[in-house]
Amino acid sequence: MTLTKEQVTTLAAVQGLVIPEDELENVAIRLSSWLTAMEQVEEALGAEMDRTDPIAPVYPKEDF
Amino acid sequence: MNAEELAFLSCAEQGRLIRERRLSPVELVQVYLDRIRRWDGKLRSYITVCEESALREARAAEAEIAKGRYRGPLHGLPYGVKDQIHVKGVPTTLGTRVLRPEEMMPDHDATVIERLREQGAILLGKHNLHEFGKGGTIDFPYGQPRNPWNLAHTPSSSSSGSGIAPAAGLCSFALGEDTGGSIRGPASCNGVVGMRPTYGRVSRYGGVMESYTSDTIGPLTRTVADCALVLEAIAGHDPRDPLSSARPVPRYVDHLRSDLRGMTLAVVREIAWARHVHPEVVDAMRRAIAVLRDLGAAVEEVSLPYVKFAVPLQLLTADADVATMFLRKYLRTRWDAFDRGTRTRLAAACLVPATVYNRAMRARVIVRRQVLDALRVYDGLLSPTTVTPPKRIEAMQEKVESVEDVATRLIERRISTYPFSLSNVPTISVPAGFSTDGLPLALQIAGRPFGEAVVLRIAHAYEQATPWHTRHPDLSRTAA
Repeated sequence: MTLTKEQVTTLAAVQGLVIPEDELENVAIRLSSWLTAMEQVEEALGAEMDRTDPIAPVYPKEDF
Repeated sequence: MNAEELAFLSCAEQGRLIRERRLSPVELVQVYLDRIRRWDGKLRSYITVCEESALREARAAEAEIAKGRYRGPLHGLPYGVKDQIHVKGVPTTLGTRVLRPEEMMPDHDATVIERLREQGAILLGKHNLHEFGKGGTIDFPYGQPRNPWNLAHTPSSSSSGSGIAPAAGLCSFALGEDTGGSIRGPASCNGVVGMRPTYGRVSRYGGVMESYTSDTIGPLTRTVADCALVLEAIAGHDPRDPLSSARPVPRYVDHLRSDLRGMTLAVVREIAWARHVHPEVVDAMRRAIAVLRDLGAAVEEVSLPYVKFAVPLQLLTADADVATMFLRKYLRTRWDAFDRGTRTRLAAACLVPATVYNRAMRARVIVRRQVLDALRVYDGLLSPTTVTPPKRIEAMQEKVESVEDVATRLIERRISTYPFSLSNVPTISVPAGFSTDGLPLALQIAGRPFGEAVVLRIAHAYEQATPWHTRHPDLSRTAA
């Protein structure tokens, strides 16, 4: 997914954030990269993700 | 023994001399203060040097030991801590221009500081870091930290000063903080040992720890045995950190051995032998495997295809957790005070939809499960800590101007460390040679949750069979 600078400006406004024009491209590239990566993750793991709870790994209780 | 030799002794050796009253803590503190004065103007490993209190504490330690009240192997040893961890009455700058002076002054000690104080260790100062403990800072308010082996090259991030200082003989040991690789990266690039403990092994109380699913505090030392000593001192349950574990803390030094007979290790194929791994790192990895086999370990290969997802999953979720805290407090109103690398990174994290965050957390569980399944079979997982020798400083700054920059500036340096941060398993970086340019290379060993003793045992046996930990940067040549 490739976001435009205009889309990033709108998303930022929702968060009450004003990103200067000369840094919008930087933020757009970063966010687009993570969203593109998530598309690849969904393609590979999506079905398994549907069956997995999003539990943060902060209580390592595995039987080791 | 001259001052230079004293400065580079291990904690175990310094501690023995102090216990036998052949070395005064005052003398040792003075050695480090002199060296900081001489070299740190260029290395920039310290933000705050606590000269007065360090000398006062050293005199107290000397008097206590003289009266026969020896507290243990860290008594009288001077250490530094990443300036992300609170010490009462000493500013926590977080390496930023965002905070006002009155916002930097903590009214309490972190648990790790309390524990080291109880052991008699002496706080020498607070170490330079990437802004707020994030990586990729472009303009450092307290000076550009530099690699003591070659000042033009990166000391890695974000516990940069905590890697430089023990490597350059500017403290006995250091404490860093590791969310994605911030202990292991600086350990690797500066040629010292660094350990990320299991999440929950060391209390986070008193650290500025906003990535609540991943932040860990751990030691950076000149030897693995020292790492064991320091970890044992700081580990254990703390009621002030609700996510700290109640499991008993082993005596880690008792588990150190010189052989690895009966152990089965596995090289992670997708990290160690990937296309982007520098040829000199590949060579160092092959030599390390040969050493481990000579020590009696069976070394196999394992494929963990999901680890390629670790960097985006960990960055996306951990950064979103940090941005949650920073948006309201600072990003909306103090944008210009942030470093450009930090603010653009956090701004992107602010915009991650909750639905994407939720899906990423589900995927983290699956990737972690694959790592844990491998650790049910193998005693340790092996990889290089960093896939290239330390690059020039400019190449590591997060100047994201193209999609290519994402690969080279954001992802590449995190490929090795993030799978194990995401998995929250104990992982150590140990020196494993030098590039042809004389820059450090390192081996990374990951183990089972709360399996620090096994990880330390593997790293110690490897270290003792190799000469790398005995080499130190010649500052008279590199930093003159």
